[in-house]
Amino acid sequence: MANADALFHVDGLSKQFGGVQALANVTMSVAPGELRAVIGPNGAGKSTFFNTITGLFPPTSGNVFFQGERITGQPPHALARIGIGRTFQITSIFRELTVRENLQVALTGRERRSWSIWPKARTMNMPRVRELLALVGLTDTGTRIAGTLSHGDQKRLELAIALAGQPRLLLLDEPTAGMAAQERLASIHLVGSLARELGLTVIFTEHDMAVVFAVATVITVLHQGAVLAEGIPAAVRAMPAVQQVYLGEAVAPVE
Amino acid sequence: MNRPSLLAIAILAAIALPLGLTDFWTFIAIEVLVFALYAVSFNLLLGYGGMLSFGHAAFFGVGGYTVAILVKHGGLPLAVAFPAALAMSAITAAIIGFFSVRRIGIYFAMLTFAFQMLLYTVALKATGLTGGDDGITGLKAAGALSKPIYYYWFALIIVIVALALMHRIVHSPFGMTLQALRGNPRRVEYVGINVRTHQLATFVLAGTIAGLAGAIFAISSGNVFPGWLNWTASATPIVMAVLGGFRTFIGPMVGAAVYVMLEVVISGHTEYWPLIMGVIIVVLVLMMPEGIMGMTRRIRDGKR
Ligand SMILES: Nc1ncnc2c1ncn2[C@@H]1O[C@H](COP(=O)(O)OP(=O)(O)OP(=O)(O)O)[C@@H](O)[C@H]1O
Ligand SMILES: [Mg+2]
Repeated sequence: MANADALFHVDGLSKQFGGVQALANVTMSVAPGELRAVIGPNGAGKSTFFNTITGLFPPTSGNVFFQGERITGQPPHALARIGIGRTFQITSIFRELTVRENLQVALTGRERRSWSIWPKARTMNMPRVRELLALVGLTDTGTRIAGTLSHGDQKRLELAIALAGQPRLLLLDEPTAGMAAQERLASIHLVGSLARELGLTVIFTEHDMAVVFAVATVITVLHQGAVLAEGIPAAVRAMPAVQQVYLGEAVAPVE
Repeated sequence: MNRPSLLAIAILAAIALPLGLTDFWTFIAIEVLVFALYAVSFNLLLGYGGMLSFGHAAFFGVGGYTVAILVKHGGLPLAVAFPAALAMSAITAAIIGFFSVRRIGIYFAMLTFAFQMLLYTVALKATGLTGGDDGITGLKAAGALSKPIYYYWFALIIVIVALALMHRIVHSPFGMTLQALRGNPRRVEYVGINVRTHQLATFVLAGTIAGLAGAIFAISSGNVFPGWLNWTASATPIVMAVLGGFRTFIGPMVGAAVYVMLEVVISGHTEYWPLIMGVIIVVLVLMMPEGIMGMTRRIRDGKR
């Protein structure tokens, strides 16, 4: 392994869909406590990167390491159990269940109790459910049907589902997509403070540069499946190549 | 009235029921019990797990044939034949489920359908064991259970225990997991739960209980026929569950009772009864898209 200190390391990862090279030899190391932004234009391969490393489909070649262990190609449930949580670009919750049940299912997974036929599920883990709801600002929505929540609240619920698993590494695919500008910043600051509070390492993708620069400690730029640039936000912003392919000529200064 | 007292009244009524019935109607009551159990077992898959099986009759048939073969050819008592029927249907469900549950939607339906047709062919062709076209007839329980009323109580106890078990399970953490994966299996995977093994366990449970229903029915009706394994037999629990309401636990039981009663009443009046039943069921389902129980629930909630 290239980087012994890394919590998470990807080595030469490639993914081919028919004729499309969605990921091309991506190598990346993420240190504990980092808030890593993976950015790039539409179709750059950001979601494919997340899907490949979380076992939704295997890579065409390359390897993934977590806490020094090779985890390439392991199924999602196995990765969740060793501390990798994620959210999806298209919000993925249990729409027909109540908000509370959404978290109870997640906690059942966390506690490996999905096989028990005792006790009644409905009353399980209520203190922890309330804690998680408070954490993401969804207090008092517990009995609502999850599918009836606003888009932003559904995103927050999905974050709470991921947090219920007590991950060490949290992968967020466009955590603020579809939110109003104001809500976006509030959301990403919430992620930032939760990460510090809970000692999480976060990798997120994002299109809104204000959101990226608000919290990212390191930025990786993907372009046509390959890593175009990587570095601290100020350095990445200054790179001409990055400005050309992604940020556009006029990059508005962010406070 | 609260739920426990309603339940107690229902159970007492079910116990007392055959005291006022002729043997003919006692057999009909047993049939209602059998199909209620069968339909609820099917609904573990459809209503809770979101898996539409087109081959659930396979297990009903395996349970029935196992009992029939052991009693008829082996001369074994029900105390042996029933557990054997459970084991056989569980093993069958484990094998069929192993190949089927990894597929989704219509592929799952087609695979379960294909396996069931395979078993249908076996029932038709393995004449030495199954009697082929003629099936196995003249089945009878020994001793007290040969009296319809005692057999009814025997069936009632089994059905209540099996229903209680399934009710327990759907409200447990396992059951909640099942309802979660119905709508979003990928999310369930990503909270650390192996979706496939949970689906397979549900499939085996549903198949085993269907086998139990088939075992009870083999003795009460006195026969098993290859038609039990034909594809039309797999439509029956689907219709019962949808008619009664597959989003509730008791819906399929209500659907089974209505279905069996309709069949008895209408077939007594005309040879065109399947046509008339079909029309009635279509009308009922169109009028009550959430089934009978979905409808009554809506009326109750609306009045409040
Ligand atoms: N499951 C799939 N099957 C086939 N092609 C795919 C699949 N997933 C992604 N692709 C292709 O891979 C390339 C990268 O897509 P990906 O979704 O990873 O981009 P992205 O960076 O997440 O884009 P966006 O910003 O729009 O979310 C695209 O050309 C896409 O069409
Ligand atoms: Mg994407």
